[in-house]
Amino acid sequence: MAFINYSSREIQLKIVYYGAALCGKTTNLVTLHKQITHAQKGELVSLATDADRTLFFDFLSLNTKTLPGFTTRFQLYTVPGLAIYNPTRQLVLKGVDGIVFVVDSHWDKMADNVESFANLQENLVENHLSLVQIPYVLQYNKRDIPNAAPVNYLEYTFNNRANRAIAFEAVASTGGGVLETLNAAARLLLAKYSKTPNANVTGMAKPHAMTAVPPPVEDPQAKGAGVT
Amino acid sequence: MLTAEDQMAIEGQLADFLKKSEALWSALVDKGGNLFAQSGDTGTLDLSILSALAAGSFAATHELAKRLGESEFTALYHEGHGQHILMSALHHDCLLVTIFGEKTNIGLVRFYAQQVTATLNTALKQASDKEATASPLQLEGDFMNNPATIS
Repeated sequence: MAFINYSSREIQLKIVYYGAALCGKTTNLVTLHKQITHAQKGELVSLATDADRTLFFDFLSLNTKTLPGFTTRFQLYTVPGLAIYNPTRQLVLKGVDGIVFVVDSHWDKMADNVESFANLQENLVENHLSLVQIPYVLQYNKRDIPNAAPVNYLEYTFNNRANRAIAFEAVASTGGGVLETLNAAARLLLAKYSKTPNANVTGMAKPHAMTAVPPPVEDPQAKGAGVT
Repeated sequence: MLTAEDQMAIEGQLADFLKKSEALWSALVDKGGNLFAQSGDTGTLDLSILSALAAGSFAATHELAKRLGESEFTALYHEGHGQHILMSALHHDCLLVTIFGEKTNIGLVRFYAQQVTATLNTALKQASDKEATASPLQLEGDFMNNPATIS
């Protein structure tokens, strides 16, 4: 939960990047660390194996002046994608304020994506939380690969619900959509605590709120089970 | 949510602990990695990274404890060549993280850490009771229509 440090006039918010193995969570943080120039940023810390696979988490801290008189400190974490590290994912979700769910656009990764989304919901339950309470943003990553699944298929699979989440197309390796995704998550988080309630903010945004990816016009051919 | 007064009181207790134990730095960190209060000097160390790693390290130890049939390891000690870290479990999902050097020793630091742990638990209980009846965090502004927050 958001924590206010009154002596240093600071609000701390924790955003976790979640998704299947090799979907680009760490790449998001690496790119953000390069792209961000105005916000005060800390060192990017990666607890990875020798093969550069995330073992525990990656961590990046960003200080911004979004609120008068306060510094907002966004603490960005990734979870390890490999299934064997599931207990670690539960630990990283402790105290989470917002989530970026990174979807690998590769057709062959759809089952892994769906499994990871279901795993996210299970692990939130382990932490007595749910996606209804926690603001989250979807990022359809690797849009530059030749065999990327169509966006309307991804929308149908991951965002086919009454209250659609904000979704972004991204190519994290080159930077496209990365900062936009983070900013959407940050705005959602701050809006959740706004004195002037916004109808688009509970856990998720309503359709068209800030949606970078438009809602699907028609249902694509079902190529697998959707996420519930 | 700690009020400014709560925080000052806790930082006073941490300062007293540092004086007695001759440790370098001590902090109250939650198990999500947030730094709540601190006292002492760590030079140029990035405290948010330090807090995140301390919370992660303690969380991993907690899982080890569970697998050994323990509810929790109450303390965790990392010994370095010149500087060492002691982490002690507190109530309300918090940790006391202490860094100390060659000027003192683990026995002394642990002894005073146990003392301050009891005091901090009382302070955390009072803050938690207050939070249960406090109004939730509310910020000024319509953030959804703001330009980029982070750039």
